[in-house]
Amino acid sequence: MTRIPSQPGPALLDVRGISISFGGLRAVQDFNLTLPGGRLHGLIGPNGAGKTTVFNLLTGVYAPDTGTIDLGGAPLDGLKPSARAAAGLARTFQNIRLFPDLSVLDNVRIACHLRTTGSMAGAMLRSASNLGQERAILERARELLAMFDLLDRQHEDSRGLPYGDQRRLEIARALATGPKALLLDEPAAGMNPQEKVELRGLIRSVMERFHVAILLIEHDMGVVMDICERITVLDYGRTIAEGTPAEVQRDPRVIAAYLGDPADPATGE
Amino acid sequence: MTLPTPTARREAPNPLMERAAALRGSGGMAAVRGVAPVLVALAVGLLLHFAIAPQLPEFYPRVILDIGINVILAVSLTMVNGFTGQFSMGHAAFMAVGAYTAATLVYYGSARLMGTADFASARAHAGVLSTMLQGREAAFFTLGDGIFIVALLAGGIAAAVCGYLVGLPSLRLRGDYLAIVTLGFGEIVRVIIQSQTTDTLYDVEVIKATPWPKLMRYMGGPVGFTGLPSYTSLFWVWSLTVVTLVVAFRLKVSTFGRAFLSIREDEIAAEAMGVRTTTYKVRAFVIAAFFAGIAGGLYAHTIGIQLNAGELAFMKSFDIIIMVVLGGMGSISGAAIAAGILTVLPEALRRPPPVDLPWFLLVMAAAWVAALLLIRRPKWWLIAVTALGAAYAWWQQPTLASPLMFWTVAGSGVLILLFAGRRVPGLIGLAIAVTCYIGVRSAAERAGIKLSDYRMVLYALALILMMILRPQGFFGVRELWTAWRVQPLHPRRSRAEGGESGTAGRVPTA
Ligand SMILES: Nc1ncnc2c1ncn2[C@@H]1O[C@H](COP(=O)(O)OP(=O)(O)O)[C@@H](O)[C@H]1O
Ligand SMILES: [Mg+2]
Repeated sequence: MTRIPSQPGPALLDVRGISISFGGLRAVQDFNLTLPGGRLHGLIGPNGAGKTTVFNLLTGVYAPDTGTIDLGGAPLDGLKPSARAAAGLARTFQNIRLFPDLSVLDNVRIACHLRTTGSMAGAMLRSASNLGQERAILERARELLAMFDLLDRQHEDSRGLPYGDQRRLEIARALATGPKALLLDEPAAGMNPQEKVELRGLIRSVMERFHVAILLIEHDMGVVMDICERITVLDYGRTIAEGTPAEVQRDPRVIAAYLGDPADPATGE
Repeated sequence: MTLPTPTARREAPNPLMERAAALRGSGGMAAVRGVAPVLVALAVGLLLHFAIAPQLPEFYPRVILDIGINVILAVSLTMVNGFTGQFSMGHAAFMAVGAYTAATLVYYGSARLMGTADFASARAHAGVLSTMLQGREAAFFTLGDGIFIVALLAGGIAAAVCGYLVGLPSLRLRGDYLAIVTLGFGEIVRVIIQSQTTDTLYDVEVIKATPWPKLMRYMGGPVGFTGLPSYTSLFWVWSLTVVTLVVAFRLKVSTFGRAFLSIREDEIAAEAMGVRTTTYKVRAFVIAAFFAGIAGGLYAHTIGIQLNAGELAFMKSFDIIIMVVLGGMGSISGAAIAAGILTVLPEALRRPPPVDLPWFLLVMAAAWVAALLLIRRPKWWLIAVTALGAAYAWWQQPTLASPLMFWTVAGSGVLILLFAGRRVPGLIGLAIAVTCYIGVRSAAERAGIKLSDYRMVLYALALILMMILRPQGFFGVRELWTAWRVQPLHPRRSRAEGGESGTAGRVPTA
């Protein structure tokens, strides 16, 4: 399998020294990341290490105490999450956050909204351009659902979907925003082994078809070690290792961090 | 802090809009789609005004008019409370702003432009499309009508501006703040209006000599704005009702409406998917305020109404909220139907209950049976109990209109709503609730209890029950034409599954 060389190309997502504390708790300290376009980077660590908090910092849910974040050369600092999505940063949530009472189709269509340019008056009058826009959104959403095998459930309320489908719908929805970088927070959580295998293929095909860079948080070491090109390991908010899967697996601090947390599947599996 | 240049983002190719350009509708059809609702609105207004209203007994046209105004109010509030999930408690205040703006413009504007002593007489100055006065000779369109329409629009715009000023600071904050701020705004509007002078000027020469800013102080204060010309007619009300419905519905099914709904569903996820939540909350709020302002202008010029800010205080906001909650948070048709029912009910309360209508009971029974059979697992014991009760009632007194029969049917309805309330399809649930209510009331009346005296208590009770048994309202987010669908049974997700903390413990290890 081809691994990326140690010298990455121009960074798409460039994170320099971000930190945040909640009260006395230093949830993330001096986190750095250079993610080139079209690459897959893993983010692992024991429970409570601060992985989800990194996502929340990147997407603007929290403002970092220190540090800067650039996407494609433009700074994201101080932007709202919606503006960061417009800039090309999309995410999924560890605790699934679909729009539960809306249909599967509408979940994806909502994510297409930020790429539209029409006016509200146009929607009230059903202007020609508004109609074209609605048709384009529908087509696009259907394409994505077809790709994720969700087309035959498009009219169901999303809350009624099985767990694995909900996770895949979240990825489809994130892709509908037209991202350059995609942040996946434990996409395999709650999936059965069969679905996990399919997920690996899906993530690969997403990278090929959409040319997105992916930052992946995953507890399942099988998935992480198999598909990630580089991995960052967090523990208690600090970055304790960074490198290829092989390098990281050999790192004594990583082994210690995981051995210290026997509940973790990294050692359980 | 360095702000990114917006152009940097705009420059990127946008495949979605390129595709949209290729899928554009035709210009001719677009014109039809734009004009059609206006034509429908005019047709509905004309039909009601000229064809239907004259056929009805004296009292009915006025009820239809009130329904229209309440539909505008409920549907507009649905855009805020139902679509975006924000809780506005001051909708009547926007109505008041629109009402007083329109009233001031119509009253003093007429005085200045007409210059005659009878400037405030709708009988003298309204065209055929205006007023509820029957059998009147009038021109097709008059100066009075023109002033009225401009004033209505101005009232809507004034309300919308207030909506923007109130919404912008408070909608940035979490939901509860909006409730408090709108509540406060409602009180402020009331107090400002009521603290003006109690007078209304009526001498044309005096009015002409008084500058506008000063005229705006003469709105009747706590006494109320007296002597307003009653231009409001079924034509204006229902034309504007149709326009409101069309706008609300078209918004709902558009990409903007989905953006509104996403905020209600999950604000954090909506933001993450690129929906500018604050912007859209404010937009929905402003649009809602605009229509509430229009409704206020219509209300102010309704015959028999003495415009008084005290009437447009919190209780009125509360009435509108009930309509929205009852209809279903996010359902336009639901809000409209609830507005209709809640307008008619208090009026119906004043007349003798329809105890002599056996067919009415049959409708109820049909709704019962449908409800009991349509839920996933039919409640046979409920059906049995109802049948036994009905049989016993019949045996006691072989008529459908006996008190015992009412108690049976009503009691069965309560049981259905109690045990299967969540799962009964919207329309049937609504039918049961309404008939149930009328049934109980009829029976109570026969027993000498006047339930109309306890109107507010019953209201509150119904609302509490609704919140417990069917928090999504009768239609939920669905519309009338999709509400027949049985609500699916949702397996409730456990806390552990939804938690933010790691999910490692739950993952089945092979
Ligand atoms: N909003 C918050 N307020 C306080 N503490 C938080 C908040 N978000 C996360 N934390 C804490 O930060 C730490 C890291 O959490 P998280 O990023 O969710 O870990 P994980 O690596 O499992 O995703 C945890 O101790 C968590 O309790
Ligand atoms: Mg996490």
